[in-house]
Amino acid sequence: MLACPKCAHQNLEGSLFCESCGENLTTDGASKTSTRRLESAANDLVARATWGTARFGEDAAITLRIRDNAETITLQPAKRSVLGRSDAASSQQPDVDLTPYGALEKGVSRIHAAITRSEDTLTLVDLGSVNGTHLNGQRLIPDQPRVLRDGDEIRLGRLVAHVFFR
Amino acid sequence: MSRLDIDPYSVLGVSVDASAEEVKAAYRRVARRLHPDVNSSPGASVQFQDITVAHDTLLDEALKKSYHDQVSRRKARNESEFYFSLRVTPSKRAVARLSEPQVIYLLAEVLPDPRARKAEQKREARVNLTLVLDHSNSMSGARLEKVKVAAHQIIDQLTDKDVLSVIGFNDRAEVIIPATSVQDKASLKAKISMMVASGGTEIYKGLAAGYEQNRRFLAPKLVNHMILLTDGNTYGDAEACLELAREAAEHGIGISAMGLGQEWNDEFLDELVSITGGNSDYIKSASAVVKFLNDHVRNLSDGFAERMQISIAPDPDIQLESAFKLSPQPQPLPIDQGYIPIGSLQANRIVSVLFQIQIPASIKNGFRSFARLVVTGDILDNTYQKYQTLSDVSLEVSDNPPVEDPPVAILDALGKLTLYRMQERAQAALDQGNIEEATRRLENLATRLLAMGEQELASEARSEARRVAHTSAFSDAGRKSLKYQTRHLLATSVIEDL
Repeated sequence: MLACPKCAHQNLEGSLFCESCGENLTTDGASKTSTRRLESAANDLVARATWGTARFGEDAAITLRIRDNAETITLQPAKRSVLGRSDAASSQQPDVDLTPYGALEKGVSRIHAAITRSEDTLTLVDLGSVNGTHLNGQRLIPDQPRVLRDGDEIRLGRLVAHVFFR
Repeated sequence: MSRLDIDPYSVLGVSVDASAEEVKAAYRRVARRLHPDVNSSPGASVQFQDITVAHDTLLDEALKKSYHDQVSRRKARNESEFYFSLRVTPSKRAVARLSEPQVIYLLAEVLPDPRARKAEQKREARVNLTLVLDHSNSMSGARLEKVKVAAHQIIDQLTDKDVLSVIGFNDRAEVIIPATSVQDKASLKAKISMMVASGGTEIYKGLAAGYEQNRRFLAPKLVNHMILLTDGNTYGDAEACLELAREAAEHGIGISAMGLGQEWNDEFLDELVSITGGNSDYIKSASAVVKFLNDHVRNLSDGFAERMQISIAPDPDIQLESAFKLSPQPQPLPIDQGYIPIGSLQANRIVSVLFQIQIPASIKNGFRSFARLVVTGDILDNTYQKYQTLSDVSLEVSDNPPVEDPPVAILDALGKLTLYRMQERAQAALDQGNIEEATRRLENLATRLLAMGEQELASEARSEARRVAHTSAFSDAGRKSLKYQTRHLLATSVIEDL
């Protein structure tokens, strides 16, 4: 149980506000509901919502913008492009090598995930990586493909990248 | 004919080239979560039907071929098929394993197709609108006059592509304007002007007459909607009204209700509109009627998809606690039905719903699914209108998950939803005769409102607290005002415009 610091009411674990007095129960609650934060949320939403198309034309390409890296990766995905980290010791080499982007220290597996192309959609599938693949904050179940949309955020281990169609 | 709205691949979570074995395995995996034998939630029972359809489609060569043929035929015709998407944000991404139950919030956002609002000539949805207007004795004077002004302005807004019907009701219902396309605006307005106030209030008669008119032009390409405006309480026919709303919902007619003044029954109207996914509102004074009605009709003609429904199937060990529509119009949602109507999706606005689920004590560590959400709706401009999209919520459970801040959108919405709930709990305490508790809750509410800068509402809460302490009852005006204005706070918290 979570005791409210203000009225001592016992709230269920995971509650964000006291159900009795309405107090914010998160640690640094006060700053959270300020107007400034709201506005920045608004901008995110506007930006996010203009994307979102899942349609991927025949000669379209995707740009991967990797966080903390100025360079972007552009690729015209083949039927299946494997993302990972090249390693001399490994027999399999990925189609897209993320080593220059700090893949090793960010926990990217050698064979981490794949972008698969089917007709006019792209799907992302985790290939049983050690540190997991996340799509928009949700972890993918290995070998279960999910549709990739323009503007999606993907995370391989701790390496974060945004996908843009062009 | 296979069902085109169900994408069997995404429903089962398999790739397009999956073998029969993979399909069967995927089916079993989802069925373990949704089968009625293990999952008694109403959401699971409707979703289970979809996975069965998907399973049957993919395992029967003929059905599978027919599905693919239909998809490619659509592609060949090169129709601009619109879609909507669903985004689900949980209040935490990693769940701690605890020896006690805990709650998690899920924010579901339905986003319209970005192409639907892009530069291309702004398309207006055509509406089939029925106004059901109370002209009982209590409406006499300023109220009825304002209603007439509002109706006139609505006629001005509509075009000859729209259909309008107007019902006036008191003890009887009178068809003032039979369902017709809006052409001769002057004569339509003249008919409205003839309305006089008299008699009592029998809502069912008005609704039934309105329903009959609306059905005459009922069409899938139209936004079919009824707006009920009343200032009184109906006696004895509430159940019949709810029955009619259920029938209207089946035919895809939305019902919204506006209560004017203090005497109407808010619980009844809330229940009535929630059946169809419409919204209810409180109009304090006659002067606000015009703006309210006009805004409402304008929203209708921005429709992108109609008859939107959301279903949530928590995994068998997870409990759904509540559902609340945050935007466009805040409205509590019923959770005892498989598909929960959420009204219409506009081209430039997000529909967002906040769910509260409860996780039992001592669940196993590991990565697991918690719930599946499915949104269905009819996209007005598509040839094949039915469309559905889904999202599985999966989270990591561990002993010591990293500490994280809950998403701002959830915090902000929940902070305001808490105020609404506090008002509800004050009411519940009072209903149980616990005056002390009710007073305390109202005082707490006043304090919170003041902290949020809602001074006017805070002083209203405080004066209701005093009133409850002395007379053991709310004032009608104060109670409605607190209920609908705390609800309105939510509308300002969610960013509606894209």
